[in-house]
Amino acid sequence: MAGMNTKSGVVYDARGLVEPDPEPPMTAEIDGDSAVIDATDLTTRKINLELKRIVYDEGVNNVTIVNPGSKHSLGVGILKRCNITFEGSPGWYACGLIDGPEVQINGRVGWSLGENMMSGSVVVEGPAGSLTGAALRGGDLVIKGNVGARTGIDQKGGTIIALGSAGINTGFMMQRGRQIICGDVNDGLGDSMYDGVIYVGGKIASLGVDCVPGEMSDEDQEFINRKFEIYDLGSPPELQKFECGKVLHNYDALEPSERKLVL
Amino acid sequence: MAVKHTVAIDAETLAGKRFEYQEDISLVEDLDLMELTPGKDLNWLEDIHLLEEDNTPAVFDRYSNSFLKIYFDIPEGREDEIARKVLMKHLISGNSYGIQLKEKHCKFHQVELGPWVADSKSVGDNYQSPVLEGWEPPAH
Repeated sequence: MAGMNTKSGVVYDARGLVEPDPEPPMTAEIDGDSAVIDATDLTTRKINLELKRIVYDEGVNNVTIVNPGSKHSLGVGILKRCNITFEGSPGWYACGLIDGPEVQINGRVGWSLGENMMSGSVVVEGPAGSLTGAALRGGDLVIKGNVGARTGIDQKGGTIIALGSAGINTGFMMQRGRQIICGDVNDGLGDSMYDGVIYVGGKIASLGVDCVPGEMSDEDQEFINRKFEIYDLGSPPELQKFECGKVLHNYDALEPSERKLVL
Repeated sequence: MAVKHTVAIDAETLAGKRFEYQEDISLVEDLDLMELTPGKDLNWLEDIHLLEEDNTPAVFDRYSNSFLKIYFDIPEGREDEIARKVLMKHLISGNSYGIQLKEKHCKFHQVELGPWVADSKSVGDNYQSPVLEGWEPPAH
């Protein structure tokens, strides 16, 4: 029986929600610096264990995961530079907490893509769900379709690019970083944002509290052009800039520890 | 003598010493930031800027939640570049306090030096939970 004699001693989960076996399945096909993991018959934990084994222990730098089957929390917590490709669609919380990988997703993704991501890049060929880039700390998230509500909520750095439209409260409580939304944006753009910049190409249903129009500078345009060129996104549309009005929130000298939370 | 209380956390305080690259620009000049970061630009380093802590130029190390002060003169116009180089030197040297804690406290399999150094050793495989002396788990 899978899960017998595990380190944790847990061998069975009656509800079937937990993978008790902490050993990687050793099923990846490795060919030099590349490897393929077929996720068809693997649980989320097994897929991630195999991915870490290949990247950390086998030193493989190019990993393709086929048949991800919209399983949740795939490719999380990888703290090494490598290339990961998903042939298909992962589910929720894909590629969260990563620090270094360059990820290509040939499909769509669910909620909270790249949540708490530290560095690297994630490019999604399709749309992404709500909370894309939640608490993003650094790196680039590129979504070639639409993104859902609260994209970049609590964003503390990095860049989110969506070629499509975005849902309500995009940039909610954003604290640092940059967003480029090429399409339309629903109500409450940048609501309660502390800092950061949001560029929007389409119509804006309404601005959130303390989100105000800004003036495009040469640095802004250089940044936008550079990102579009790096990710081969064509010519950027004409964009409007939005930033924090600094009325609702601001950091002062009495709260240095709070200031550090967003650095 | 009264104890000095501070809310600031200093990288030197955490490490117990000052590092040479905080005082000598020549030790960081050769670093290639593009090579040290993923992708085709500075990626996460784009968010790193020269700041100030205790009236001293400093860069923030997010991996230990501390400021790393810079004591040499920074050439005008290169403030952010030098701040980024000092930070990367700190990280690839394994001197960041957050990295030093990994060996003992990591609970999960991961590379010790993160994405900045290729072939870094793995840590977190043999984590043992601390045991309270004299404590016995309940029978049920």
